This record gives sequence, structure tokens and C-alpha cells, in this order.
Amino acid sequence: MNKLFLNMVMLPSALWRSLGADIGQLRAILNVRLILDDRKPVGIGRGQKQKKDRKYTSLFNIFISLVMGGVYMLPLIIVTDRVFSLTIFFTLLLAVMTLMLITDFSNVLFDARDKYILFPRPVNDRTLVLARMLHVFIYLFRIVLPMSLPGWVALGYFDGWRSALLFPFILILMVCFALFLVNSIYLLVLNLVKAEKFKDIINYFQIVASAVFFASVYLLPRLFDNEHPHDFDILNYQWVRFIPSYWLAVCWSWIGFPTSLAGTAYLSVLAVILPLVCVYVLVRWLAPAFSQKISGIDAVDVGEHRIVGIEKRKTGNRFYQKIAYTFNRSDDARAGFMIAWLQTSRSRSFRMRVFPTFAYIPVYFFYMLTQNHTSFAYAFNHLSYQPRHLLLLYMSSFVMISALNYLTMSDQYKAAWIYYATPVEKPGRIMIGAFKAIWVKYFLPFFIILSVFILYVWGVSAIMDIILAMVNVTLFVSCMARISYRHLPFSIAEQMKQGGNRIVKSFIVMIIPSALGLGHYMALRFHLLWLEFIFLALSSILLWLVWDSYSNTSWENMMKGEAE
Amino acid sequence: MSSPIITIRHLSKQYGDKTVLNDISLDIYPGQIIGYIGPNGAGKSTTVKILTGIIQEYTGEVDVFGKSLRDNILEVKSKVGYIPELAELYDLLTPREYLSFVGKLYHLQDDIIEERSRKMLDSFSLLNNIDQRMDSLSKGMKQKVLITAGLLHNPTIVIMDEPLSGLDANAVILVKELLQALKQEGKTIFYCSHMMDVVEKVSDRIVLINNGRIIADGTIEELRQSSADSLEQIFSRLTSGGDQVQKADDLAAAMNDRG
Repeated sequence: MNKLFLNMVMLPSALWRSLGADIGQLRAILNVRLILDDRKPVGIGRGQKQKKDRKYTSLFNIFISLVMGGVYMLPLIIVTDRVFSLTIFFTLLLAVMTLMLITDFSNVLFDARDKYILFPRPVNDRTLVLARMLHVFIYLFRIVLPMSLPGWVALGYFDGWRSALLFPFILILMVCFALFLVNSIYLLVLNLVKAEKFKDIINYFQIVASAVFFASVYLLPRLFDNEHPHDFDILNYQWVRFIPSYWLAVCWSWIGFPTSLAGTAYLSVLAVILPLVCVYVLVRWLAPAFSQKISGIDAVDVGEHRIVGIEKRKTGNRFYQKIAYTFNRSDDARAGFMIAWLQTSRSRSFRMRVFPTFAYIPVYFFYMLTQNHTSFAYAFNHLSYQPRHLLLLYMSSFVMISALNYLTMSDQYKAAWIYYATPVEKPGRIMIGAFKAIWVKYFLPFFIILSVFILYVWGVSAIMDIILAMVNVTLFVSCMARISYRHLPFSIAEQMKQGGNRIVKSFIVMIIPSALGLGHYMALRFHLLWLEFIFLALSSILLWLVWDSYSNTSWENMMKGEAE
Repeated sequence: MSSPIITIRHLSKQYGDKTVLNDISLDIYPGQIIGYIGPNGAGKSTTVKILTGIIQEYTGEVDVFGKSLRDNILEVKSKVGYIPELAELYDLLTPREYLSFVGKLYHLQDDIIEERSRKMLDSFSLLNNIDQRMDSLSKGMKQKVLITAGLLHNPTIVIMDEPLSGLDANAVILVKELLQALKQEGKTIFYCSHMMDVVEKVSDRIVLINNGRIIADGTIEELRQSSADSLEQIFSRLTSGGDQVQKADDLAAAMNDRG
């Protein structure tokens, strides 16, 4: 499979050469990177993974991608205007892909881990940049392929072979477009700002961008009148011509489909030209001095005395230590709490992945307000008539889910030897400490703000809902932690292979808390306050049991979990 | 002589088909500095990982403090200090935070952790860096933090795996003196290294392993056949037949496509 993809990205060798890359080196670098991705680093005290299990995981990922692809396919069936249906289709794919690029794959470009291997060799910057781009391209394509498969089949079925034949080419153009555009922006910033500022700026950009993309997926369809999709008139939406996915869709005019907006067939040229222009600008103009800049990013701190802000105070326990003592009884749990607390505030990759989830909830709230095509003020005033606050409350679990996801991962997973060499009786104690740290640090403040807002809009009567939701959400994420995250904090190497799939999976996981809230919703709907009390009691007991089991995770349990 | 503090009997370890340790038996007495040496891949680090409890699957018996390591793993871990090679630590933390984290894993009181860290880092001239993130520290400075972390809980046995890597000359002298001071306090030190001159100077007893077996064991005087031999020469003779000059010539020739 790797060979196939490698040969595919090396097909336009002549183009790569003319851009200034060394073809032999490019191939060698890509080959090694793909080999490395296939080999999971052996952690401390951890055996090789069973091949069979990994096979099931990847099958599961493909299945999820197919399900998502099935959803994306719907406009192709419902909307009769082919070019317009394709515009929607490509917009959805493009949004998901850009989100992956921004959150999961952007580190590949700035990864300085192989600098000791590659930078001292006679490899030019254009080859380096291109190797990183094409590496990401392969992964994007792997994920996008099953996602677009249902759409491809639908096109073949409804339009015939010519449409089906055109599709893969446009798909490749789309992947290139997103890839090269996002990375051009990164490299442009890299060229403009000082190296030491760069990672922070990119970090904020990533947070804002992923929030915007999440918003656009939810809010864009609102701009159309979706109550009567069949008598929809695209002429009311002239601005569509400025959207890249429309340019991609208009390529279907080549095989005789009418353009949605008259006289816009020429825009299809943009779809072909833009990726080329981007890759040209990227490799020819922005790539030189790349390695110099990248090594600059890392060299920043060395020699400088960067004193960590609050920790400067000399006497007494620090704030996080005080909380560690308040929330944990055993030393192991305190140690887990402290390391999770400190590492999560300092790790850029953690912030980058978790912080955008905070934005999802306000975005979703906004979506609720605009749903009924009424005025904003009207919608806001009538909000309290519906039990919509439950959704907001249950959505707060996203924050915990994504934080949990990244809590166990670290570039410095090898530093986890310390857990094994010290007298730790049960690793579960450390895990529960780390879990509490992210609960207190990320979930609780957010939940409190949310609660204040809900109390303001829905009134004091919502207080029971808030309490029950808090227990339920905590129960749900604890179960997740107990089942899938039985690892020590920061002890697992992050792998490129899992990139993207995490986002796909988290979309699915987001459905579960809503199901959990269903009982709550029923109780509220039929004004059964006593039922809520029963739920609260039940959930609390369950929560206690799950925590007990999680914190009693033994070394044997953990090893067994890792072999799975 | 008193009873041994570490007793290893028929210790073997395999990875798949590969035998890394092959029937090792060894007694280590309290207050000794043991120099544990061997060529690359001889099984040194595996021995260390077993003694520190990082690897728990092995055949044979290991007793520490007269008790089985397997059955008393936590008790042993709490009395053993481990200083690994290569500065593998969570370097987003500051030395103070890292030491506080490690101290908690050893169940030390906060004020004790604080006091000991300050004193030890001060001895390493690192007190000014106590609140500085370790990703901005040099490799040698990180190694000093690791040494501090390994000694923080006042262990009875100290296991060091190439502890001098990355240290400057002054720090090397300091650590060598530290080894003697620890010995004076009756601590047992298990010292793994490739730096033969240091091993020769500090060790009371030298154990040489090759291909997972002990091939020499004794004081430096006992290992010497003639009085002129240095440990380096003994090492080379026992582990490779001493034909390093020829091998170097072959290496240089291969580069030029000669011979």
C-alpha cells in the first residue's frame, strides 16, 4: 500500500524536479518516513502490538469514514443541480480536511525531530519542504478516499462513467489545494515573523481557524433555505462563485453538465491552476531558508533564562500543589495530578488540540439561535421555553473527551520510565490524579461559566439539571477513560498514522453524550423532578464505582489494555 | 564479610529468540562500588532494567535486601535510586516541578523534597535554574537534574547507567567524589559505563559481561595479568581479541574501496 502511494506522489517527478527538488532524495526521505509510520515505537515495559488487533482498528476507521462519506453523499442524491450538489459535497470534504490539516497534521511541517538526521546532509530546503508536504498528502488522501467513496459510487450510478472518471482527478486537486494553501500560509508566517514568535502565532491561528471551520460546517447550511430544498434557486446565491468548492464543482461543465450560475465555466480553470500556483509559490519562494528557520524555532530557548511565571515565588506551596492536595488523597494521585496540570499548560500540541473544542459550544449555541429563521432577539427571548440548555450542558463533555485523548500522548513518552522505576503500587492512582487535573483545570471552570449563563437564561429551576448533567458528563467521560485510556499520562508516542482518524472518531463519540442525556431530557420534558433525583442517585453511585475501578487499575490491567 | 545486599542467581532474559542475559549469577555486598562493564549490546542495560524493576519478566532469581525482587518490587524500588543514561525526562517542567513530581512518587513530604532539591541543585551550581524550563537546559544540566532525582529519596542502592554522559569536566570530578561520599555512607553503587578510566578509578570490583555472560569478575588488580595492563586493554583483550588496530585499518580501507 505504501509503495503504491509513494509511486503515486512521485508520478509528477518532472514537476518536482523543475521546482528544485532532488528526486532521489525526495523518494528516499518519503520512503523512510512511511516505513517509520508503520512501526510503532516500543514503549517502556510494553510489548509489540498484535497485528490482528491493529487490523481491526483500521477496518473500524475505514467503516467510520464510509459512514461519514454516506452523509456527504446525500446532497448528490437530493439536489438535482449537479454542479451545485457537488459544491456542497466538496465544501463538506474540504472543511473536514482543512480541520485535519490545521489540528492534526500541521506539526509535520515544523517537526524538528529529524533535524539531526537530515539537516547536516546535503539536502536542499525545497526537497525538505516537498517531502513533508507529500508525506501529509499521502495521509490526507488515505482518509479522504474512503470518505469520498460513497459519493463516487453515487456519481457513477446517476451520471455514468464520464462523471465517475472525472471525480478522482478533481479529488486530487482538492487535496492539493487544501494542503498547499494551508501550508503556504504557514510558511508565509514563518518568513514574516521572528522564529520565537512563530509557534505561538501558529497556535492561535490554529485555534481560531478550527473554530471557524466548525462554525462554517454548522452555520453555512443555515444560509440556505433548507425547508424547501427542491425549489431552491441558486441565482439568489451569487456569492457561491467565490467559493473554491464551486470552482472544483464547475469542472463538471467539461463533460456537459450546466453550470449553476451562467457563464461561470471559466472558474474551473482556477481549480486546476490554483493548486499549481500554490505549490510553485510554496516550493520556489517560501521554502528556501526553511531549515534555517525551523532550527531557529528550536534554538530559541537555549541559553535564555526563561523563568516560569507563577513558579517564581519561593516560599509555600504553589497553587496547583494546593489543589492537588485538596482533590487527591494518595501521593501517586497527587503526582499524576501535578504532572498533568503542568504539562498540559506548557505543551503546545495539547493546547492546540484541546482549546478549539471550547469554541464548539458557543458556535453550537449560535447555531441554535439561527435555526428557526427568526430574529436574533426573538430567538434569544424564547430560548427558555425549550429545554435546549441540556444540549449545551452535555456538549461540555467534548472538552473532556479531547483532553483525555491527548493526555496520554507525548513526544517525550520515553520519560515515562520514571513511573516504572519508582514504587508505584497501582498506576491507576496516577491515572485518576491526571484525570482529576484535567477535570478541575479544563472542565470545571468552563462548566461553571456555562452554568451561570444557563441560570441567567433558564432561571434557578435549571439548577437540578446542571447538577445532574455534571454528574452524567463526568460519568460518561470516566467510563471512556476507564475503557479506552488506561495509560499513564504522557507515556505514549504520537503517531502520524492515527492522525485525522482521531477527528473522525471524535465526531462519532460526540453523539454518545446526547444519548446519555435522553433520560434526563425525558424527565425534564414530563416534569418528573423525582425521576431526576433517582437518576442523580444512580449516576453518582455508578460514578463512584467507575472511579474506584479506574483508580485500582493494576500494572497487569494496564499492560493488558495496551496489548489490545 | 556481611551478607550480600543483591543476590542474582541464574538470571536469564530473552527477547523472542534472542538471549540477552544468559545465566548470570552475582553477589553484591553493601558499601561496594561495582563497575559493570561490557561491549555494546552485552546486556548491561537489561541487567539494570531488571534490577530497577522496569523489566519484570525474566527467569532466575534476584534477591535484594535478602528478599525476592519479584515479590517485593515496591519495597525494593523505594530503596533503589536509578540514574539513567540519556536525559529522558519531561523537559517542559522546571527542575523544581520535576523533582517535586518524582518525590511524590517516592512518597516524600513536600518540605523534604524542597529542601533536598535546593541543596543538591546548589551543589551542582544549578540553583539559579531551579525555575527554568528544562527544554532550555543543556544536556549536561538535565543529567544533573536526573542525578538529583535519582538520589532524592536517599536510596540504599544507587544504580547508575552511564551517569556522566554530557557532563563537563568539573561535574565529572564532582560525581566521582560523590560516589566516594555515598560509599562512605554505606551505600551500594552499581555503576555501568563505557568510560574505562573512570570505572578503573572508582570501582571496588569490576564485573565484565559479554554476550549476556559474566566473563570476568574481581578487583582491578585481580583482572590484571601483568601490572602494565589498563582496564581498557583488559576489556579489549577479553571482548574482542584485541585486534582493534587491524579493524581500524579495515574501516579506513572500506571507505576508499580498497582491499
